[in-house]
Amino acid sequence: MTRAAFSYDFPHRHLISVADLNPVDLSIIFERAEHWRAINRTRRKSSDALAGMTVLNLFFENSTRTQGSFEMAAKRLGADVVNFALAHSSAAKGESLADTARNLAAMQPDILVVRHSATGAPQYLADRTHMAVVNAGDGMHQHPTQGLLDVFTMTRHWGSVGGRRILIVGDILHSRVARSNIGLLSMLGADLRVCAPPTLLPGDIDQWGVDVFHDLDEALVDCDAVMALRQQRERMSGGFIPSGREFFHLFGLSRERIARAKPDVLVMHPGPMNRGVEIHSDLADDPKHSVIMEQVENGVAVRMSILELIGTNLRAEDEA
Amino acid sequence: MKTSFAITNARLVDPASGTDAPGGILVEDGLIAQTGGALDLSGADDVIDAGGQILAPALIDLRAAKETALTPDGETTSSLAAGAAAGGFGTVVLAPNANAPLDKADGFAGMSRGLSAHGVRMLAAAGATRGLRGEEMSELGLMVRGGAVYAGHGDHPITDTQTLRRVMSYSSQFDIWLALRPADAALSAGTVATESDWSARMGLPSEPAMSERIAIDRDASICALTGGKLLVDRVSTADGLAAIRAARKRDIEIAASCAIAHLTLNEVDAGGLDSAFRMDPPLRLESDRRALVAAIASGEIDAIVSDHRPTPYDDKGEPFALAIPGTLALETLLGALLALVHDGELTLLEALRPLTSGPASLLGLKQGRLATGAPADFILIDGDTPWVCDPASLKSPRGNCAWAKRRFTGRVMQTFVDGQEIYNYNG
Repeated sequence: MTRAAFSYDFPHRHLISVADLNPVDLSIIFERAEHWRAINRTRRKSSDALAGMTVLNLFFENSTRTQGSFEMAAKRLGADVVNFALAHSSAAKGESLADTARNLAAMQPDILVVRHSATGAPQYLADRTHMAVVNAGDGMHQHPTQGLLDVFTMTRHWGSVGGRRILIVGDILHSRVARSNIGLLSMLGADLRVCAPPTLLPGDIDQWGVDVFHDLDEALVDCDAVMALRQQRERMSGGFIPSGREFFHLFGLSRERIARAKPDVLVMHPGPMNRGVEIHSDLADDPKHSVIMEQVENGVAVRMSILELIGTNLRAEDEA
Repeated sequence: MKTSFAITNARLVDPASGTDAPGGILVEDGLIAQTGGALDLSGADDVIDAGGQILAPALIDLRAAKETALTPDGETTSSLAAGAAAGGFGTVVLAPNANAPLDKADGFAGMSRGLSAHGVRMLAAAGATRGLRGEEMSELGLMVRGGAVYAGHGDHPITDTQTLRRVMSYSSQFDIWLALRPADAALSAGTVATESDWSARMGLPSEPAMSERIAIDRDASICALTGGKLLVDRVSTADGLAAIRAARKRDIEIAASCAIAHLTLNEVDAGGLDSAFRMDPPLRLESDRRALVAAIASGEIDAIVSDHRPTPYDDKGEPFALAIPGTLALETLLGALLALVHDGELTLLEALRPLTSGPASLLGLKQGRLATGAPADFILIDGDTPWVCDPASLKSPRGNCAWAKRRFTGRVMQTFVDGQEIYNYNG
């Protein structure tokens, strides 16, 4: 631990939005993530950092990898993990979120990992229960651990993202991943670009401190990293864009197109991928550029780091 | 034998005549017999010294909602009337909404009679289409005979332009206003906030102000086509005001209302995603709020409405984006509005006109003015009393109030309807 080097302790008991974090918080998170990443590559992965604590995964939207990643992270830290998929239980019986939260809180879990379709649901739960809350995605608002693992992945390659040219391409409008990444990368001084058709961009994005492009070939010039976002199928049938194949031809990433970027450009994707819509299979699997599997690996490490830091603060509250 | 009483030493504020001067009124048999600075008190049974309090016409609200009858723990007609009286209202119009579409002629007259037994004058507007679905016309003529004072359409526009044309054309024969929420149905569908930098960053589905402008342009054009009367039901944006200004240059009958929430709150109030600030129309930008206040001052907005909506706690017991929109407002409206007067944004006459003579003229009501021969519907206001809004102490059994914990200066001390006291702050 070189926490003393910062003369500052991670102060948060919740992780709701990347807007709550500062660059020193990120350094602390990444330092601990690096530690857990190394441990995760050994045959002795288990720790007792969260022993005796219960982590409750509360997912109101279906998720496989995010929930699995959180579950693995919490278990490796020695916590007890309970998964609630509420898409098909109380919520369907008409119970309000406030009541659901009170009931779950009464079971005395310590950390709540929540995903919900409505902006603000994690904050709402943090305000109304004693649980520490980690946002695993709320509506189109924030997905802070995804943003953190993306930035962690880039930081590991470059040492720092400051000054690096990073392009986010695809459905920015509906993407909580994009909002979290834009928040973090702006804070760290990256040269940020976004590229999408106007129908998939928020109206005020020109005020977000990013350069906006509608032509992917122009946007890719000299990029250090390019991040494709998942194109949701229900938005591809004439509503926001005419078709998946038109989208691929205009905004899909391929090996040929990324030749305009830096030679060692990193290709990223938050998953799950639609091969042939936002990214060509060849590129997604190209070990020279694709860091998509690294993102998945780093996701567990970053989530361990967050859970550990929050758990440490919960224990400190008890001692105080 | 006439019964009479006088109130003297008051500050008379009567927007209908533009009066703001010291004086009093003499009430005889429920009617105003004299007003002014020099009353003949020889026939008065009782003379009350108002001690310099403001004496104004009792307020008129064109848009309040009641919960459906027999809702457990819900707001009843009695609690609604009690809250209205405490808020200084002498007349309240129940407007149609999704829960109570007021679209059935059967029983409409009976309902109107029942509503009139609560001290406050309670009137009802008719739902313009069946179930407010915007498809088939409801029996407007029969409901007008049953006492409906205008036709409304709840929170949604009449999407189909052909239906709109027919409803407006048909309603024109009764000389009633057709109140329509200014929103383009497609642009506003599923939205919970106004389109802005904030809502984009928060990832909230949002309604552009232009939706309001497009709707007013369309509705005004149908108004021109049919000769109907269009009441813009709660303008909330500067764009909407621009459309109203443009429409007024045409030879059509158009009027506009505005909700107290949009005059006194903006999207920043919702910045913490507190469900209490979920409104429909959504809270707008500060520039919109300022434009609305200016339009109140200039008289471009005819009526301020409470848009009072009692909502069970459970419906607000959801995050912002899922919460049911609306707020209690009858008891807090005057306090919130007086803040604009204290801040110098409006004069007292400008602030009270759209709550008294403005709506009275729209509906052709005799009350709403301090004039000889008018019903003695008036209020006494202490303009300097400070108080804090505590939802638990409101008359409504519900607690969804966007002004909770706000500090107000000035409150209603007494409310009179037909010369009878229906509310007294001191008991």
